[in-house]
Amino acid sequence: MRPLIPRRTAVLLALAALAAALPAAGADELRASGKGAAEGGAVWFGARPERPPRRVVVLAPSLTDVVLAMGLSDRLVGVTRHDDAPEVARLPRVGGFLDPNPEAVLALSPDLVLWVTDGGALAPVRRIAELSRASSRPFPILAIPIVTVADVLETPRIVGDALGERAAGEKLARALAADVEAVRRRAAGLARKRVLFVVGREPLVVAGPGSFPDELLRICAASNVVRGELPWPVYPLELAVADDPDVVVDAAPQEPAEGIRRLSAIRAIRERRVVRLASDDLIRAGPRMVRGLGELFRGLHPEAR
Amino acid sequence: MTSSRTRLALALALGVVAVAVAVAVSATLGAQSISLAAAFAGQDPDAAILFSLRLPRALLAALVGCALAAAGTALQALLRNPLAEPFVLGVSGGAALGGSSVLVAAAARSRVAGPAGDLLGAAPPVAAGAVAGAALSTVLVFGLGRIGGRLVPEAALLVGIVFNSFVAGVITLMKMLVPPEQASRLMYWLLGAVGYESTGTLLAGALLVALSIAVLVALSARLNLLTLGDEEAASLGVDVRRVRAWVFFAASAATGAAVALAGMVGFVGLIVPHLVRRAVGPDHRLLVPASALFGAAFLVLADALARLAFLPLGTEPPVGAVTAFLGGPFFLWLLRRTARTELSP
Repeated sequence: MRPLIPRRTAVLLALAALAAALPAAGADELRASGKGAAEGGAVWFGARPERPPRRVVVLAPSLTDVVLAMGLSDRLVGVTRHDDAPEVARLPRVGGFLDPNPEAVLALSPDLVLWVTDGGALAPVRRIAELSRASSRPFPILAIPIVTVADVLETPRIVGDALGERAAGEKLARALAADVEAVRRRAAGLARKRVLFVVGREPLVVAGPGSFPDELLRICAASNVVRGELPWPVYPLELAVADDPDVVVDAAPQEPAEGIRRLSAIRAIRERRVVRLASDDLIRAGPRMVRGLGELFRGLHPEAR
Repeated sequence: MTSSRTRLALALALGVVAVAVAVAVSATLGAQSISLAAAFAGQDPDAAILFSLRLPRALLAALVGCALAAAGTALQALLRNPLAEPFVLGVSGGAALGGSSVLVAAAARSRVAGPAGDLLGAAPPVAAGAVAGAALSTVLVFGLGRIGGRLVPEAALLVGIVFNSFVAGVITLMKMLVPPEQASRLMYWLLGAVGYESTGTLLAGALLVALSIAVLVALSARLNLLTLGDEEAASLGVDVRRVRAWVFFAASAATGAAVALAGMVGFVGLIVPHLVRRAVGPDHRLLVPASALFGAAFLVLADALARLAFLPLGTEPPVGAVTAFLGGPFFLWLLRRTARTELSP
C-alpha cells in the first residue's frame, strides 16, 4: 500500500521542522534574564566591539536621553519614531518601541544597537540579531533591562562602558543619583500623601504596583492607593472613589486638563486636589524621569520649600 | 386560553420585574463593598458609589441592552432568519464607522478651526454619525444580500461579517489620524464597553432609544405579516416597502444610539430575542417589547459580571468581551440547529 506521505518527504519535513525550531531555541537567550540592570542583568548579544562604537542605533528614547546627557550625540545614527529630543530631530527613524524595523536598522550599518529589554519587541529584535549574525559585518546588541529606579541610575554606567566613555557614564550616574537622593532627603519627615496616578481617563487607567510611578511616589513621601497585581490596570472607578486619595496626579499631558473632571466622582477631583504633570517625563526611564521626579515632588508637597 | 392582551400584560410585567431585579443586583455588587444603609443616609463614599456610579452605569447598560435586543428582533423579522443581529449583520460596525468618521473630522477641523472642531466632536454629532452609519450599512447589507432579486439570508449575514472586518480595519487606520485621547475612544468602540456617562447624554440616549422602540412596537403587527414573505404580506394589505423602510430606520437608530453610548457590544440581539421567543412565541406584538425589556436586564447582568469577574487582578474587562464570550458559542449552536431544521423539515 502507498503510504499517505512518501517516506523521503516525511524525513525532509521533519528536518525542516527541526531546522525551524533551532534558531528559535537559540535566540531565546534574548529573553529577559529576570535581573534588572542594577543587578547585572544587562546582556551582550554578539561580540563586544574592540574599538569605541561610532555608529549607534538606539531602540528606546530613554537610552537616547542617556547618550545625549553624556554629550555623545555624534555617535548616534538612528533612533525610534518616539524620540523627540531636538539633538536627534534629523536622524533616521528605525520604527517604534514595540516594532523596531530590522530592515531600517540593518540599512544604517550600525556597530552597536542599544535596546531596553522588552518582551513586546522580542520578535523583531531577535530578527535583527539573526540578520546581524548572518551579515558580513556583524554588530552586537546590548540589552538593558530597566524596571526599577535603581536600574535607571545604573544605566549610564552600562552605556558609558559600552561606548568606551566610562568616565562620562560614571559622572552622569552620580549626578542622577544625587538628584534622586536630594528629593529623598527633602521628603524625609513629611507627612505621607495617598495618591492615585491617572494616565488614562476613559477607561480609567492608573499606575499600579510594579510600575515606575509606584516606586517614584514612595521616594516623594507618598503612597499609591492602587493595590492588585497589574502595573497599569484599567481600574474600577468605584475602587478609586472608595480609595479616596488625598491627591490625584493627572499624568496625561496630551489630553485637555478639564477632561479629568470626567472622574469627579472621586472627591479629590471635586475638591481640585489635582497635580497635573506638564510632560510624560516620569515614564521616560532615563534622565527625564529624574527631572520629572522633582516636578512630581514639588506638585505633591508644595509646602516643602 | 388567555387573551393576547393578558399575555402582553404578563410578559411586560415580568420584563419590568427582570429589569428591576437586574439593576438592583448590579447596584448592590461591585469592586468595593458598600453599606446600603450608609448610602441611603447620604454618607460618602457609599452614596457616591451607589448613586453616581453604579446606578447610572446600570441604567446605561439597560438602555443599550434594550436597544440592541429590540433591533435584533426587528432585523430577524426582516431577514426571516434567527441569526440576524445588529453586530453580526454589520449594523453596529456601520454605526461605529459613522461615529468614528465624525470624530476624525472633528479632530481635523479642530486643528484648523479650534473650538468649531471641538463642537463637532461633542456627543450629539457623533451619535448622529453613528445612526447614519448604521442606516447606511443596513441598506448596504440588505442590498448586497439580494441575489437575483431575492433576499438570501446567508448572503446578507456573510456581507455583514465581512463588513465588520472591514470596519475594524478602517477604525484601526483612523486611530493613527486622531490625537491620543480620542484614539482610546475609538478602541472603546471596537471593544464595546459600558462606562460612565453624564446625565444629559443618558437622557438623550434614552429619548432616541424610546422613539425607535416605539416605532418598532407600533409596527409589530405588520412585522408578523412580513415574516410570511413579501408577496403574502402585500396580498394582506401591507405596504411592504414603506413598513420595511420604517423598520430599517428604527432598528438603525436604536443600534446607532447603542453604539454611540457603548461601542460595539455584540450578540445581545441574538441571545435575548431567541430566549424570549421560546417563552412567549413568535408573535412580534409580544416579542418586540418583551425582548427590549429582557435585553435591558441581560446587559445589566452581563456588565455586572464584567465588573466582578477580574476583581482579584484589580481590573475589569469591557462588557463586549463578556457578551462575545457567551454569544459566539450561542451563534454557532443556533447555526447548527437552524441548518438541521432546514434540512429535515
